[in-house]
Amino acid sequence: MNARAKIKARVNARGRLLLTGLTAALLLGGALLAGHGMDAALLRPRFGLAALPPGPGYPFGTDALGRDLLARSLRGLETSLLVGLLAATASTLIALLLAGLAMLGRAADAIVGLAVETCIGLPHLVLMILVAFALGGGVGAVVAAVALTHWPVLTRILRAEFQAVLTADYVIHARRFGHGPWFILRRHLLPHALPQLAVGFVLMLPHAILHEAALTFVGFGIAPARPSIGGLLAEALGSLSAGWWWLGVLPGALLLAAVLCLDGIASGLRAWLSPRVAEA
Amino acid sequence: MSVSAAGAARLRLPPLLAFLLRRLLRLALLLVCVAALAFALARAAPVDPVEAFLGPAAAQVGPEQRAAIAARWGFDQPAPVQFLHWLGQALRGDLGESSIFAAPVAQVIGERFAASLALMLPAWILGGALGFGLGLAAGAREGGWLDRVIRLYAYLLTALPGFWLAMLLLIVFAVWLGWAPVCCAVPPGLLPDQVSLGQRLAHLVLPVAALSVLGVGPVALHTRAKVAEAMRADFVLYAFAQGAGRAEVALRHAARHAALPALTILFAGMGELFGGSVVAEQVFAWPGLGRAAIEAGLRADVPLLLGIALATALFVGCGNLIADLLAQAVDPRQRRRA
Amino acid sequence: MLPTLRRLAALGPALLLALSLAAPALAAPRSELVLALPGEPERGYDPIQGWGEYGHPLFQSTLLRRDADLATQPDLARSWHLSEDRLSWDITLREDARFSDGRPLTAEDVVFTFNTAARAGGAVDLSALREASVTGPHSLRLTLKAPRITFAESFFTLGIVPAAGYGPDYARHPIGSGPYRLVHWAPGQQMIAETNPFYYGPKPAFTRLTFLFTGEAASHAAAMAGQFDLLAVPPSLARRVPEGMRRVVVRSVDNRGIVFPMRPAGETRNPAGGPIGNDVTADPAIRHAINIALDRRALVDAALLGFGTPAYGPADGLPWSNPESRLPDADPEGAARLLEAAGWRPGPDGIRAKEGRAARIPLLYFAGDSTRQALALTVAEVLRPLGIAIEPEGRSREDTRRLMAGSAVLFGWGSHNPAEVYNLYSAASTGHGFFNAGHYANPAVEAHFAAAQSAASLAASLPEWRAAEWDGRTGYGMKGDAAWAWLVNLDHIYLANRCLDLGRTQIEPHGHGWPITAGILGWRWTCP
Repeated sequence: MNARAKIKARVNARGRLLLTGLTAALLLGGALLAGHGMDAALLRPRFGLAALPPGPGYPFGTDALGRDLLARSLRGLETSLLVGLLAATASTLIALLLAGLAMLGRAADAIVGLAVETCIGLPHLVLMILVAFALGGGVGAVVAAVALTHWPVLTRILRAEFQAVLTADYVIHARRFGHGPWFILRRHLLPHALPQLAVGFVLMLPHAILHEAALTFVGFGIAPARPSIGGLLAEALGSLSAGWWWLGVLPGALLLAAVLCLDGIASGLRAWLSPRVAEA
Repeated sequence: MSVSAAGAARLRLPPLLAFLLRRLLRLALLLVCVAALAFALARAAPVDPVEAFLGPAAAQVGPEQRAAIAARWGFDQPAPVQFLHWLGQALRGDLGESSIFAAPVAQVIGERFAASLALMLPAWILGGALGFGLGLAAGAREGGWLDRVIRLYAYLLTALPGFWLAMLLLIVFAVWLGWAPVCCAVPPGLLPDQVSLGQRLAHLVLPVAALSVLGVGPVALHTRAKVAEAMRADFVLYAFAQGAGRAEVALRHAARHAALPALTILFAGMGELFGGSVVAEQVFAWPGLGRAAIEAGLRADVPLLLGIALATALFVGCGNLIADLLAQAVDPRQRRRA
Repeated sequence: MLPTLRRLAALGPALLLALSLAAPALAAPRSELVLALPGEPERGYDPIQGWGEYGHPLFQSTLLRRDADLATQPDLARSWHLSEDRLSWDITLREDARFSDGRPLTAEDVVFTFNTAARAGGAVDLSALREASVTGPHSLRLTLKAPRITFAESFFTLGIVPAAGYGPDYARHPIGSGPYRLVHWAPGQQMIAETNPFYYGPKPAFTRLTFLFTGEAASHAAAMAGQFDLLAVPPSLARRVPEGMRRVVVRSVDNRGIVFPMRPAGETRNPAGGPIGNDVTADPAIRHAINIALDRRALVDAALLGFGTPAYGPADGLPWSNPESRLPDADPEGAARLLEAAGWRPGPDGIRAKEGRAARIPLLYFAGDSTRQALALTVAEVLRPLGIAIEPEGRSREDTRRLMAGSAVLFGWGSHNPAEVYNLYSAASTGHGFFNAGHYANPAVEAHFAAAQSAASLAASLPEWRAAEWDGRTGYGMKGDAAWAWLVNLDHIYLANRCLDLGRTQIEPHGHGWPITAGILGWRWTCP
């Protein structure tokens, strides 16, 4: 292909990803708004409407207590997303903090490196179980557990980034000029880190959500007032043999769709921030 | 010229062995750190250690007995002292007693790990083989429809909630079609020595299927990248010019090129594999280590939880170690850097 | 290619399995059963550690047992006599009882069991035992510290262990004189029992029993596939009866109710570290309002799908309960008036508040139990229009023990003896297990309990038990302190193979402990 066609293809690829991202964002946002707007009465037990399969008026059917499954699933999605957002934000901030600390000296770097390896050394779920247990096993504990298990990978990436920046010529010159570490941090490190942070954040989000769902599925953070997809599926497990398949299939499908939307948003964002990445 | 080569020359150790030794030491250090972290988290829990120690029997124990237990196990001592005490015991092989199962922790972990392994090993191999095969097919003809389908499939897999897939398999194959048993490791009513291999396999099918599907993604994508890269090499073009078929070239040359990296990914993914096994065990009521971990966490069985943390860290650590060794073997440049 | 092969590979063993299961149905009467009953004793089969706390511990024998009409029948004991001063029981034993290893059961073993259990801090009533002593090769005396009529419950529930064979590993390898002996136990999976060749009673029709601990869901699914002969199911799964099985509904005194913390929140913590007291439930108006607002019949329909009856007290229908302590329920207007009069006014969000404190009550229940969850959620729903915000939380047993003194908890009880009433409401049992979680203490009630315990016999103690619930002025029941809001009595629902005849079933106590096996010696296989 000649140069013009190559540029056109690149722009097209980027444009396509941006469009995908935007569509995904709209879909997800729309679903959440719809869930929020639904009548709260649908979430409460309604005697006489128990265990109805999907049909007119009940797009996802109802559960054993007559609660509308679509309303609960959408609320559960909202909870999962909130937890994911909180967790991803916390993880990102922790990663930033630790990567910055690691730049203070060799000892600090070694300690941070050890911390990262320690947390990677345990399977995700085991570490989450430990943290959730440490914090008493409620809903807050689940959030903290998810938050405290995703920072290692981002920390590593940021450390590498920071190291590359610090050894760059212009930073060495800045130091020679007498600029203090704060200045370096603000003017050089942070701007470099921001795109990585944003991308890391958005990439972390689907993982955080899936992990939150897994943690509530196995039984932590059960609070019937705030449905979560994992909790819905755990309940469904008990009634599969009664033939109520929709309790197990549909909420999970919704979660899958949401995660796919988030992945779409992630690639759109990457395309927007770093055009080179669009080609990957 | 790195320090290690000079040092190794002095010690007359081959560089690979030196690397291995260094990594083993690091693994040991890591395990101690993991133990410290797990211990700190367990102590931070709002659970009274005497209660946790006694389990359900705590209800019937009076205050004098509690004080005696606290003194004997050192619960009234500062945390670092307790940690060292526990670590010392653990190194001697005594991980304490599980309050849920009323049996030594080491025994519980041993039994349960064996059950989990029966699940994880076939799933690991199958997932790896499937992933490799798919990656090969995808990379052999980059950009083709097969490549796109496989990429889409791998992409979907990363977004899939593992426990949901397991539930779907259960609904379709066990509940609706009745082709597979609904739960557990063995058919009901049979003593362990009465269970035939065929029956064990029948019970393994669904959980292994669920678990292996989850492991396919990363291997497939990585293999695909490596195979595609290999297919772009010059002498491949030369082989094509000589009339060799695409499939033949892919199998002969690209596969070899991608095999070791695929294996590396497999070993590095052992942590995720265990995570997947935890939820699969929950769905299929499989009596493995994952379910024991959940029970321990939900029901404040601190000795068991700590024991499992150590055991799984060892498991993951070994996996990472082997992955690093393989990565070394693949890319000689890394050897110098180590 | 792979998935198809896998499917074919799965089909083969499944077919073989199906055939092997079908085959026995065509052969001679069955002598093996597969059962799925909830409540695996995770810590093992040691009576001293609580195995068989509701009676008939399968592997061991007890001194007495209850038949289908709940009448007392001798088991190991031939005679049992309470002294005039109510302080000692003289018991003679049968002489042909033997343990599963062949050794005879003597008074030594009974004495050992009682003394060890009392020292191990077992059930509350055993703490009343001063000493058990041998008076002959087959006779013994149990001496109490103080009169305690409920002590006799242990005659029905404490399985006898061999003095010589008892050790730390007993729970996993129990030796007893009961109709069955333990052959294999894989915790979390299954337990296999075979008949005890030395058992002194009638020979059971079934020589091998397999108990599966696979959980509600998996059990029902396996039943649908024809793999079980008897299983207990929750109401939600009771409608789908598999081919070849029938539904058996057994009445029970297995109840569910909500215990309220009786004290206001304070600084004190219980030994497990949780807070004691709850300001909202400490107000009697709240407790009374909840009791009369609930429509228990509707609860049975909604949460139990009709499989149950309303419960107003811990022992409804049993001779030690007092029907006069009941108030009419399903009266939300009356409840609202009560609350208004006590100062609980509805706030802008509809939730009542008094002195700045909102009527929010956390309600704990054991996570994973679908029936308790359904009840908790339904109660919350029913009380919402009243302005009381119940917040259900599923928790593990350990968490519940830690938190129960500060929150309302949904518990289940139900026994054939007033000992349980005593345990639930006496200040002396606070802190023992889950007993008296609300820290209830009423001197008048204690006085009635003391009088009941020192009665000459169970029959003589009944008026005092009834007075404790309501004596005209005060009591623990609905009219008095309303320390609990009892909700329902469950029906125990079983799915049984059509060929399995369970004989006459008793009114069952609380579900833990496999109450259906109380009549196991009378089970028969009716198909040829």
